[in-house]
Amino acid sequence: MKNLMEQKMLKKVILKIAIATVFVSTSSFSLAQDTTTISKNLDWPRIEKQAKGQTVYFYAWGGSQQINNYLRWADKQLQQQFDVRLQHVKVDDISTAISRLLAEKAAGKVTGGTIDMLWINGENFKNMKQNQLITQPFAQQLPSWQFVNKDFPVDNDFTEPTEGLEAPWGIGQLIFIHDKKRTPTPPTSMKQLLTFAQQNPNKFSYPQPPSFHGTSFLKTALLELVEDPALLYQAVDEKTFVKTTQPLWQYLDQLHPLSWQQGKQFPTSSAHTMQLLDDGELDLAISFNPNEVSSAQSNGTLAETTDSYAMENGALSNIHFLSIPFNANAKQGALVAINFLLSPEAQSKKGDLSQWGDPSVLKTQYITGSAANTKLFKSVAEPHPSWQAALEQAWQQRYGH
Amino acid sequence: MNNCIKKTTKTSILILVLVLCFLPMLPGLSGLLLAAFAINPRLNQFHGSLSGFEQLAQFPGISQSILMTLNVSIISTFLSVLISFVILRRWYQSKHWQKIENAIAPILALPHVAFAIGFAFLFTPSGFISRLSTELFEFALFTDVQIIKHQLGLIIGLTLKEVPFILFMSIALLKQLNIKQSLQCAQSLGFSQQQAWLKVIFPQWLPKMRFSIIAIMAYSLSVVDVSLIIGPSIPSTLPVMIWSWLNESNLDTHLMAASGALVLALLCVLLVYTVIFVEWLIVKKCTSWQFSGRKTLTGCKGISLFTRLSKASLAGLGSLGLISVLLASSLSLIMIIVWSFSKRWPYPHILPSNWSLQFWQSELPYLFDTFVTSIGLAMLSATIALLLVLVLLEVNNRNNISHKVRLVIPMILIVTPIIAPQLSLLLGIQLAAIYIGAEHFYLWVLWSHVFFVFPYIYLSLDGPWRSFDQGFNKVGLSLGKSAWTVWWTIKIPLLLPAIVISMAVGISVSLAQFLPTLMLGAGRIATITTEAVALSSGQDRRVMAIYALLQTITPLFFFAVALFIAKKTGPLESRTPFSFKKQLKQHKHKRTKHEARSI
Repeated sequence: MKNLMEQKMLKKVILKIAIATVFVSTSSFSLAQDTTTISKNLDWPRIEKQAKGQTVYFYAWGGSQQINNYLRWADKQLQQQFDVRLQHVKVDDISTAISRLLAEKAAGKVTGGTIDMLWINGENFKNMKQNQLITQPFAQQLPSWQFVNKDFPVDNDFTEPTEGLEAPWGIGQLIFIHDKKRTPTPPTSMKQLLTFAQQNPNKFSYPQPPSFHGTSFLKTALLELVEDPALLYQAVDEKTFVKTTQPLWQYLDQLHPLSWQQGKQFPTSSAHTMQLLDDGELDLAISFNPNEVSSAQSNGTLAETTDSYAMENGALSNIHFLSIPFNANAKQGALVAINFLLSPEAQSKKGDLSQWGDPSVLKTQYITGSAANTKLFKSVAEPHPSWQAALEQAWQQRYGH
Repeated sequence: MNNCIKKTTKTSILILVLVLCFLPMLPGLSGLLLAAFAINPRLNQFHGSLSGFEQLAQFPGISQSILMTLNVSIISTFLSVLISFVILRRWYQSKHWQKIENAIAPILALPHVAFAIGFAFLFTPSGFISRLSTELFEFALFTDVQIIKHQLGLIIGLTLKEVPFILFMSIALLKQLNIKQSLQCAQSLGFSQQQAWLKVIFPQWLPKMRFSIIAIMAYSLSVVDVSLIIGPSIPSTLPVMIWSWLNESNLDTHLMAASGALVLALLCVLLVYTVIFVEWLIVKKCTSWQFSGRKTLTGCKGISLFTRLSKASLAGLGSLGLISVLLASSLSLIMIIVWSFSKRWPYPHILPSNWSLQFWQSELPYLFDTFVTSIGLAMLSATIALLLVLVLLEVNNRNNISHKVRLVIPMILIVTPIIAPQLSLLLGIQLAAIYIGAEHFYLWVLWSHVFFVFPYIYLSLDGPWRSFDQGFNKVGLSLGKSAWTVWWTIKIPLLLPAIVISMAVGISVSLAQFLPTLMLGAGRIATITTEAVALSSGQDRRVMAIYALLQTITPLFFFAVALFIAKKTGPLESRTPFSFKKQLKQHKHKRTKHEARSI
């Protein structure tokens, strides 16, 4: 009898799984309307009440212990103040989260999703927006929005309008790090950099594109070398692309033989360039955090004699954001968490120069502690997003094999 | 009636095994195929196309990358097998073997990534060896000869890491082969011990190591994390390329990644059959070398200079291999330990300039839960997988006592979870999980662990199971014992060393699972490995070192226990004696047994 039941159960399960498999193979998804939309004007006290007891699964890059520690602190504060748990899901690349959301969307899972909140910008945001993985504007309705410094370009992300679908969290600026003892006068333009490499062969390199920092270096170089920088703020024109970028490739052809490992290998990431700087293999490291040096010094990853600087023309700058996916399970909790992370208290802690040191997006009068001494360099806006892929492809074609 | 119930029970158990172990392949493989041919329900694309393969073929450097990937896989697999066999031949019966066997567990427990971190720090131009040589001889090493970030480093690193695995898997197997008698017999026929190993043991050893060899081959072909740390990047190996394409949020590159993953899977199938073919060639087809009298007698004049040279170099390779495995692993481990306690260790210091407990202290409060989750998951999934394997082995076995239910499952099906790119399989599985109900996170993660652990346990038990002497069964049955009693009181105790070792392997495989835990657990389940991998993208050697150490300690415990049990169990003649008295007793026992056999 038991056996029979077991077999029946088995059959049921097999059937269910088989159906699912077929469904996976052939389904098209329907865009069901979400019932728990965030209304235009948030009833904030109600949201805080609903958020009580919720656990917010926050997908974010987990590679930096300083950032992880900051999120542990935020979790503690949120539990104490709002009875909301912030569970940091550490991923090595946020695209893992995006492909998960795509899968959930394909399965028609419009509520009760597994991701409540994520940390994104640039390409990733554009792709999420295009695939309608974020559907409800919320940023401007947050109570903490009043503190945000609107002088920063907080309403567009790599020239893509945010439309309130994501809330600004911090600022990135492409800076260079040098050791004042070893290299007292570092190069501040691309031309100087080439001379520097001629005098000090094997001591410079940049992260290999298509890594984020590597492509950003290419953009910085192109912005300086191109005849008309205005071209880079329009979509790539395939006809003129070769001609426009010619100076960059000529430059790199000269630079690579003088670079680390003769340009046959490149560092994998920004963190790798910092490690190599500390190992004495490189003279310059690249980072997107203008306060990286003070944070790294107190953490022990860089020597006390290191310092950061930007290129003469300015530092390539962008903003990184927080967002809530279309099917988030703990929407209210996520709103409360984001609102807290945008508060003066949390932003000041985030900018603590001995910790993470990420520059705040709030108006300066709200920032306290060492975060108030944050360094910001003259900024250069990010080119049109189409340049990202085009440059990466051309680089791969020339140097990637 | 009773029989009928028995039969249904058997069938349903078998179905359960098949469902648990092979069903996830359906969505996994179909997902991979659909994605590779650009059929994507998410984007409403239902017309298949080859555009992914076209993109792939046009990708700059792709052919170099594929050639290099094959190169690395074939050479490192060949070297691992060769070195392992030479080591076994040279030391298996020597008095040092016990020491070598004891050293294998910690080396094996050292995870690949941890080993790679330590290995890289040893051999980079600013690494430990270079610092040491600068300090002592004022000469920096590895500035001209590049090892790290070169395929040479990848081949060396993988070989050094796979040799202990082959040795470990051989321990249980060699206990099943009658090494001593075979050698004695061969020597009495005039073969030297070396020749006896080659001509008598090798042809028995190689076929039984088939799965292990395929496993390391597939691993070296599809490894991403190690390759990222010590492998070349211009161009990178194919799996690293696929990984980086998948990490882009642009869906077009995902298409290329899926096509690449399919190509990788096909390459893997190709290599699996190459391994089988080569084995067949050596062991079954071209057998003349096994019994040809030429070059057998040591004093024979016919020995050419070449043979002598190759013999000498093989012996040298054995020693060199063993020493480099021991040295590289222990030094890597030491590097990691030192890093975990340092705050600053800048170039050109040989020791850290600043020591600190800071990183241990900040991590410890968060470690306990992670530890419990990891170990619980590993033990549970390895136990389930072991039970399933036992069922399958008994049913699958040609020499089964009852021939009523026999099902031969093709080997390629069993090894699919190992050889198919994990990421592509998981994409399909994840989708299926979401349809059925993704909120049962623990269940899905457990199932996926069982799914990936199963083939490893199967392959480590397959050899011992096949070489089990059926005579024991016959004797037991003829003495009137039931089939169950014979199985439980004779077969299992004799195979216990192999079983506990396979358990340890299974546990370590489960502990190392990153993608299944993350993708199916949706971040609800954090293990030491998910934490370690997430942290490794930040390149902070100190925190990476802490997690790498924890990743080492856990499996080490299980390997040590397994080896201890393996030594104390199994056939009497291969047990390690507890004391002199017992040794005497065993000796006597052995003698009587020999006598009994000769009669």
